[in-house]
Amino acid sequence: MSDTEVARADFAGFDGDDASRAVDAGSRIDAAPITAARLGAGIVLQDPASQLVMERVGDDVAFGLENLAWPMATMRARVPDALAAVGLTGFEGRRSTRLSGGEQQRVAIAGVLATRPGLLVLDEPTASLDPYGAAAVFAILTELQSRGEATIVLVEHRATLAWPIADLVLALDDDGRPIAVGAPADVLRRSGKRLEAAGIWLPEGGPGPAVGAAGSVRHPAGALGTFPILELEGVRFGFEPGTPVLRSVDLQVVAGDRIALVGPNGSGKTTLLRLALGLLKPIAGEIRLGGRAPSRLTSLELTRQAGYVVQDPELGFLADSVRQEVELGLDADQVRYAHELCDRLRLPLERFGDASPYRLSGGEQRRLSLVTGLARRPLLLALDEPTYGQDRRGHEALVAALDELVGQGSAMLAATHDERFVRDATDRRVELEDGWVVADDREDVA
Amino acid sequence: MSAWLFVPDVGAEQQESVIGRTNPLVKLGIAIVWLLGLGLTVDVRPPLALLAVALASGVWLGAIPQGVLGRRIAPFAVAAVAIAVTNLLFSGHNTDPLATELFRIGPLRVTAEAVAAAAGLGARIAAIVSIGAVFTLTTDVTRLIDSMVQLGRVSPRFAYGALAAYQAVPKIVEDLATLRGARRLRGLREWDPRLLVGLLVRAIRHADQLAIAMDARGFGSGPRTTYRPVAWTQLDAVVAGSAAVILLMALILGR
Amino acid sequence: MTTLDRARPAGTPVRAEAWRTRDILVTAVIGVVFGVVFAYWNFIWTVIAPGAIPPLQAFLIYGVWLVPAVLAPVIVRKPGAAVFAEMVAAGVSTIFGSPWGPDVLLSGFVQGAAAELIFAMTLYRNWSLPVLGIAAVASAAAAWIHDWVLYYADADMTLQLIRAVAMAVSALLIVAGGSYLLERSLRRTGVLDGFGSRAA
Ligand SMILES: Nc1ncnc2c1ncn2[C@@H]1O[C@H](COP(=O)(O)OP(=O)(O)OP(=O)(O)O)[C@@H](O)[C@H]1O
Ligand SMILES: Nc1ncnc2c1ncn2[C@@H]1O[C@H](COP(=O)(O)OP(=O)(O)OP(=O)(O)O)[C@@H](O)[C@H]1O
Ligand SMILES: [Mg+2]
Ligand SMILES: [Mg+2]
Repeated sequence: MSDTEVARADFAGFDGDDASRAVDAGSRIDAAPITAARLGAGIVLQDPASQLVMERVGDDVAFGLENLAWPMATMRARVPDALAAVGLTGFEGRRSTRLSGGEQQRVAIAGVLATRPGLLVLDEPTASLDPYGAAAVFAILTELQSRGEATIVLVEHRATLAWPIADLVLALDDDGRPIAVGAPADVLRRSGKRLEAAGIWLPEGGPGPAVGAAGSVRHPAGALGTFPILELEGVRFGFEPGTPVLRSVDLQVVAGDRIALVGPNGSGKTTLLRLALGLLKPIAGEIRLGGRAPSRLTSLELTRQAGYVVQDPELGFLADSVRQEVELGLDADQVRYAHELCDRLRLPLERFGDASPYRLSGGEQRRLSLVTGLARRPLLLALDEPTYGQDRRGHEALVAALDELVGQGSAMLAATHDERFVRDATDRRVELEDGWVVADDREDVA
Repeated sequence: MSAWLFVPDVGAEQQESVIGRTNPLVKLGIAIVWLLGLGLTVDVRPPLALLAVALASGVWLGAIPQGVLGRRIAPFAVAAVAIAVTNLLFSGHNTDPLATELFRIGPLRVTAEAVAAAAGLGARIAAIVSIGAVFTLTTDVTRLIDSMVQLGRVSPRFAYGALAAYQAVPKIVEDLATLRGARRLRGLREWDPRLLVGLLVRAIRHADQLAIAMDARGFGSGPRTTYRPVAWTQLDAVVAGSAAVILLMALILGR
Repeated sequence: MTTLDRARPAGTPVRAEAWRTRDILVTAVIGVVFGVVFAYWNFIWTVIAPGAIPPLQAFLIYGVWLVPAVLAPVIVRKPGAAVFAEMVAAGVSTIFGSPWGPDVLLSGFVQGAAAELIFAMTLYRNWSLPVLGIAAVASAAAAWIHDWVLYYADADMTLQLIRAVAMAVSALLIVAGGSYLLERSLRRTGVLDGFGSRAA
């Protein structure tokens, strides 16, 4: 088991009653007819897409009601109410797979709320959401908490959002033992240092140094010259005719660049990375990676130019064990470097080498995918949501490793929603919206 | 995602058309019965007749835009030709001394009977493809599953379990693209059976999460009610009756 | 995952045949993954289909359509898994579009049922490679008969025999061997924790 990636939990809205009594209270508030064994608890998981049962939003919200054998008329009245409670009035007929991640997560909450549970459990419900989506979900939680109809148990890394709505915070250490429990202000005052030491995020403005490993060694922009690594000129792209994803994107990436590619869910960040790596071909415009069109490079040439760390580390795993994964396709020199990276990123092969990559914790998986992306010292390192689900120590190790790579004359292009990562690890911010680059603090955007 | 591989978008217009309003089980039944009916004959006329009926009703009674229907069917024209050619080359008639020889290609003797049968089997594929296209382009999957549960007495746990799993299709397609990209960026060939391991790991994890989410929402905990009631209608009887007549007429045509 | 097991009220006996929601979803999702694979495969088959290249080689890839009928049962080890997975895969590939339209459902049923029969004969207790091989060949045999009637009705005995041999080889290598290897790889990853193990 990892000593870094273990449960950390914040319990919000827990009013001190024991859970079963809270559930009973919830049932009594509710005046809806009880026609079947009803459930006291609802659960919302991290990945919005893996909770959607039905194709259409209304049907999905009704799913739990059907299972509890609510009569038709009551269901018809309840579904719009539940959708209204999460700010999705009128979404009944929409297809859930076509909603943004934030909307999907709100549908999931509506589906759980529909049955009026006494206890609502949420496991990192906003981990993959953009700041707008995350804010919308937290606004709903705040609202629910203030109405006091259900007890909310929230497992969350985003302390800044979670702590303010919590009545009670429970922090767990690496081995799952509680470090502190109590009202947020008390926990912060009494055990802030210990939480800090355990690598737990604290709400911003709390004690402890601002995380900024890279801040001190920041290389001045363009210090390594203006050797262009990646150039995009007037790049247009769409998956289907009539729905452009990128409209006309210009981007110059030079050695030493650390670019944060930001923008709402669905703005085309991942798509832009895939285009830059030659995994997709633009409809119009030109892309040059190390001077050549990336989609024309052979796979082997491509590996020297670019490394790719995908959003979900599991989608980058190709081997049966961590050791094989790390050494896959590398020459002796690169293998040495890869082993060194493993040690530095706290993934010693003596301990993890024989494990299946899929058995690592989320944070360990992320670091493994970084090792595989960095091992060939690529000119361009493309990262998709690198800090997804990371605790503070994972974050710091990541920032330091990236810093070193870029210091050696490479460039980094990271799609991210994480403002803290933007601040700590990047020095140039490129914002995408609706298929346009709407802001780039290096270039003037017309 | 390539243009030939797509999940059809069954819009409101198709769903409210005559064929769209027909119960999916009736449509499925017709498709299977027609298919079995076609198995009774190798004559070229019955499949061509059913092909024409399927296409015409798809466009006029099913409100399927011609372009969509064409795009759906076109890739499989090759299959019809391929099946015809295989049957032609390996036809039992070719070695039958009583069969009329048309021409020879090297050692191969091609007979008129073989050509007729091959044409019939090729047309059979074309008919099946068209019937399938009209079915999928006018049928809402949720309604199909609802009908199976409410009218077909299929276990709701299995039916809705499958429906929930089916919602993962876009995710699986997306995962496949990402996995291939990751392989390419590591200097490996993109298509490899190992892709399946990655895909299945993700899919099974997805299934686990879904199972937790569904159980937490009371799935299978007892009797359930339905939010979308489905009942047989007169239209179903009319469509089923017409389809039976059409099949009979097509088969008589082949006599 | 043990959490699901724990969710069962204490004292409830676990009957091997009882399907948990997790079993249903995992079987269905295996079907869906293969439905997507079939969609590609249908197209590959259409392009290289018998006629374009010698049938022996074409039918060597036939096995891919039968994999869920063996892989799903060997993973979830529940009665009916072969038919269920194969039908879901068939349904998904029909929705994507296939040269056999709704007949895929019929094929899926006979292919799944044939494999199911073999697993039932072992009372769902024997999951050794030879049993997988027999189930795979049974499934291929069902497909062979079905296709004979519907698609190769006019072909002579030579082609039917070539098909039989090639499909049997394909079933043994791709279906039985492939499922065996896939299951082993998947067990290593930990996603199958909580499902019956080979040793059990
Ligand atoms: N299926 C499994 N097999 C083996 N170990 C596992 C498995 N699932 C989890 N673990 C281990 O159990 C520990 C706790 O995992 P858990 O998922 O509860 O962490 P978490 O606090 O939710 O972490 P995160 O913040 O990354 O989501 C980890 O060390 C993980 O490696
Ligand atoms: N394979 C695909 N087929 C069709 N549309 C797609 C496909 N992949 C992505 N899209 C669409 O393209 C748009 C851009 O998607 P992309 O994944 O690049 O967004 P993103 O900025 O990375 O979002 P997120 O912040 O959620 O990761 C979205 O509207 C998405 O729905
Ligand atoms: Mg977690
Ligand atoms: Mg993205």
